Amino acid sequence: MFDNFDLMVAALGAGAWTTVWVTLVSFTIALVIGMILVVMHVSPAWPARWAANAYTQLFRNVPLLAVLFIMYFGLPSVGIVADSWVWALVGLGMYTGAFVGETLRSGINSIPLGQAEAARSIGLTFSQSLSGVILPQAVRAVIPPLGSLLIALVKNSALVLAIGVTELTAQSRRLIEDNESRFDLWGVIIGVTVSYLLIAFALSYLVRLVERRTAFVR
Amino acid sequence: MSRQNESTVLFDALGPKGKRNSNIASAVSAAVILGILAFAAVQLAGEGFFEESRWANPLDVLVVQTTWIPAIIDTLTAFALGSIGALLLGTVVGFGRISRFAATRWASTVYVQFFRSLPLVLLIWISFTIDGYFGFTTEVLGWDGDARRLTFLVVGLAVYNGAVLAEILRAGVNALPAGQAMAGYAIGLRHGQVQRLIVLPQVLRNMLPAVLAQLVILLKDTSLGYVITYPELLHSANIIGRDYGNSFLQALIIAAFIYFVLAYALSKLVVLVERRLRKKTAAPAESVQQIEQAAVMAE
Repeated sequence: MFDNFDLMVAALGAGAWTTVWVTLVSFTIALVIGMILVVMHVSPAWPARWAANAYTQLFRNVPLLAVLFIMYFGLPSVGIVADSWVWALVGLGMYTGAFVGETLRSGINSIPLGQAEAARSIGLTFSQSLSGVILPQAVRAVIPPLGSLLIALVKNSALVLAIGVTELTAQSRRLIEDNESRFDLWGVIIGVTVSYLLIAFALSYLVRLVERRTAFVR
Repeated sequence: MSRQNESTVLFDALGPKGKRNSNIASAVSAAVILGILAFAAVQLAGEGFFEESRWANPLDVLVVQTTWIPAIIDTLTAFALGSIGALLLGTVVGFGRISRFAATRWASTVYVQFFRSLPLVLLIWISFTIDGYFGFTTEVLGWDGDARRLTFLVVGLAVYNGAVLAEILRAGVNALPAGQAMAGYAIGLRHGQVQRLIVLPQVLRNMLPAVLAQLVILLKDTSLGYVITYPELLHSANIIGRDYGNSFLQALIIAAFIYFVLAYALSKLVVLVERRLRKKTAAPAESVQQIEQAAVMAE
């Protein structure tokens, strides 16, 4: 059943590794963008709020594949050229950043009003109540949804195959269409499925770990 | 509890000095944002981005008639069929997960976990590729190329989003206070009646915003038809871009704009529905919000 098993494992392993690092690096970019967005969202300056909102709406309503195409195939016509893996990281990061920003914002909104009122009534200042009362609770509240975003990003990262990054899905595609070495079809399908399941399970285990570490009794 | 209330409760009302500072911050940030936009515009103009022919060519009447409009129709067709399939599958599997029979629960759970962890593009592309590998091909059914592509795109969209919708539905049932079903049993209804008359109507109403939000994602995901060359918007934009060599970016931006308009209209509908349905059921408003949020994330 598994012809050329070792070659297949090597190819899928390389693809899985690309998927993992693309996911982790672009998620880091997304976290940074998300934090900037949430600061702009709660800032007293309305142009900043407006710009954050425009950014979020833009990336929430345009397909990721279109974003990647515009960057990789479109931007060279205006003189902006970069490698495909650069656009893969930037595109995934900018796209996911909009969702991270919304998640962080809903985390702040999820803290009951009474918490802020209590902090103010015992005399804490704005920055004290924010850093000592609101944010510690908000950060814990957003860990599970951020975890789901991370898992979603693993799946979304498959789209960068369309701009020529050979991650897991692209590798499996290459193996199936490779007529020379005749990789077994079911072998490749099972291999790629198991790889994605393993990555998803490993990352959700990691998220649960962080969740448990930061948990507290309310 | 709007954000406005929350942010003002954290500090005292602004005095004259605070107001002045906030105005200065607004002016500075406006200047920075406008500066960035102006810089980008100048750079783009320098590269001929705004040249009229670059926009006029892909928007030629003939191109609009022969490519853009069919592309929009093809995208909406895939969206409509995919939504119907996903809703049917999601309902069946969602109730399978809370079924009284262990085997049904087990099978539904495997289905949901399996299809939620795989990228949709992999599902679409693999099913399309292995068609014909086993001596049977859907081409035998006499479908032409595009109908076959549409089938695989729709099946992929329905299978994947069905798994997500099943989770939304299950979460909705779990969020409904147990007393609702208990009250049903107490007045002598059977299990099926309780589900049909008490649970399902409330769950559907509670979950409608989350379901619609997922459909917005499904609409965006129709762009994955590109990988199997289904002639949806993004694929057509690529063809137009290739036909008019120096309008590639412009064609892609037009396609992105159309996606934006369609998805934005759909998400505005979500807000509208949400507002109309608020506070009509026994489910606690908070949990519904959390589930909605989870649904948006579970893209």
